[in-house]
This record gives sequence, structure tokens and C-alpha cells, in this order.
Amino acid sequence: MAGTACFIIVSKNDIPIYEAEVGSAAKKEEASQQHQFILHAALDIVEDLAWTTNAMFLKAVDKFNDLSVSVYVTAGHTRFMLLHDSRNEDGIKSFFQEVQELYIKILLNPLYLPSARIASSHFDTKVRALARKYL
Amino acid sequence: MGREVAESCFDGLIIEMVSAYGRRFYATKPDLASRRIEAIGFQVGHQLIERYTVERPRFSDHLEAIKFICKEFWSELFKKQIDNLKTNHRVGTFVLQDNKFRWFTRVLIDPSSEDNEASQGSSSEATSMLLHFPCGIIRGALSNVGISCAVSADASNLPSCESCILFFALKFSI
Repeated sequence: MAGTACFIIVSKNDIPIYEAEVGSAAKKEEASQQHQFILHAALDIVEDLAWTTNAMFLKAVDKFNDLSVSVYVTAGHTRFMLLHDSRNEDGIKSFFQEVQELYIKILLNPLYLPSARIASSHFDTKVRALARKYL
Repeated sequence: MGREVAESCFDGLIIEMVSAYGRRFYATKPDLASRRIEAIGFQVGHQLIERYTVERPRFSDHLEAIKFICKEFWSELFKKQIDNLKTNHRVGTFVLQDNKFRWFTRVLIDPSSEDNEASQGSSSEATSMLLHFPCGIIRGALSNVGISCAVSADASNLPSCESCILFFALKFSI
């Protein structure tokens, strides 16, 4: 299980629509701000990398101290980014795939506007449960 | 995501939606009705393409995305693929031809009640309203993968629905 992990979903228009600290270590205020900053800074690298390859899962695009950023890009250019300190790539890939299923269900809601924040507590609970399971 | 519904329910829903927008909500403004129907199709296409591209890697160019629409997307929606794809690269136009459009096989145009000219006019009007929905679906699907375009449709020999041929023309704004 990863000690620290911060997960965000960024939509096609570069608007973060979901953020969560999903690690199992104790949370510190400054650490979570730093995590957000690292993830947002990695967005440029993700943009460059995303156009060079067809793959959806881009492993470890950036490193910061001992934390690395892994990204999963969907066909609609929605990026799922995870900041973590673990080496378990298969687990992370399965985590991303399951979160994509949940995300599609949110998207299929006719009242959900694209690029709006995901406010559903149900989604939040499920993402945290998946993080405990796979990370 | 695996529950299923009878296809006749779906046909009924679409026909009723088009007639509700065309005759009740915007009875006096047909282009507003057509834009609303197209917008509904846009949202549906937007959501569907996200769902159908889960497993596969992303598209590297326009042509791949259009081929995906012609094959997998069309088979998920209509249980068959597009029969013919023509393109004019320089102008950025693609024409998709479907020889037996599934949603129209059960649309009944009633020719007996009015005299010839009026029934011809109303039948093409009814089908052009119905066409806005699939055009919207295609436009929504393409815009979600990053391709903005205008889609228009043209239906020939409509009363004989067993062999109705539909042409969707996609024009890219580059």
C-alpha cells in the first residue's frame, strides 16, 4: 500500500474536476498543497507526452524527491493523474481502469455538464475504496 | 452497464422526441426544434464515444477517428457498419453512406390521407427532423475526441424504407 498518494482528474479543457488524497499515511496540510502543486506542474509534461504515443497508460512521467507521477489519458483527453511513492505499476493501471469505469458512469448522467466538478460523495467513497484495494 | 431494452421502445422514444419538439414545443419555429434535437444528439454522442473507447488506445489522427465511427461506433449503435466512406482530403470533407439505416426501417410515411404534393412535402420534413438526431450524435462523438466539424445528412428514396440510403457529410473546420 502506498504511503502517500494524491489523485486528480483533469478534464479536456485543463480544469481539475476531482481531487483526493488517497494515501494511507497521516495527512499533513502543507504536504497536500505540495502534492497538488506537483501534479499541476506535471501537466505540461503530460501534454507533450500524450501527443507522442497512442497508449493510454503513461507510466511515471515525472519524479519529485521520492514521489512519482503516473498518468492515464482517455480518448476524450481526460487525464487521471496519480502522485505516489509505490512501485506497483500493475496495481496503478488497474486502479486507473476502474476509476475510468466510474468516471464514465458519472459522464453518462444527462445532468452532468462536461468539465464540471464531480461532487458526488458516492464517487468519492468508491474512489477511496479502490485506492485502498489497489494502491 | 449491461441492462437491455427492447428496440421498439427505443424507436418509439426517438420518434416521439422528434415529434414533441417539432410539433408541440417549437411548433412555429422548426429550425429551433431541429437545433434542440441536434443538441440532444450532441450530448448523447459525447457520452457514448467516451464509453466505447474504454479499451482501445487513443486516435492518432482524424482518419482513424472517422474509421472508428464507421466501424465500431456504428456497429454498437446500429448493429452494422457504414457501407461506404468517401473523402476529399483537401477540402476536409468525408461522406459516410449507410444503405439501410436502422432507425428508419420502421418509420411509416402515410401517403394516402393527403394529395400528392402535400404528402411529399411533409414526409421529407418529417424525415429531415429525424435526421438531426443522428447528425448530432456524430458531431458530439467527434468533438469529444477533439475534431470539430459540421455534420449534415441527406436521405434518398425514403418511402421504400427497406433500402433507404443515408449520406452523412462531415465538414471539418481546420
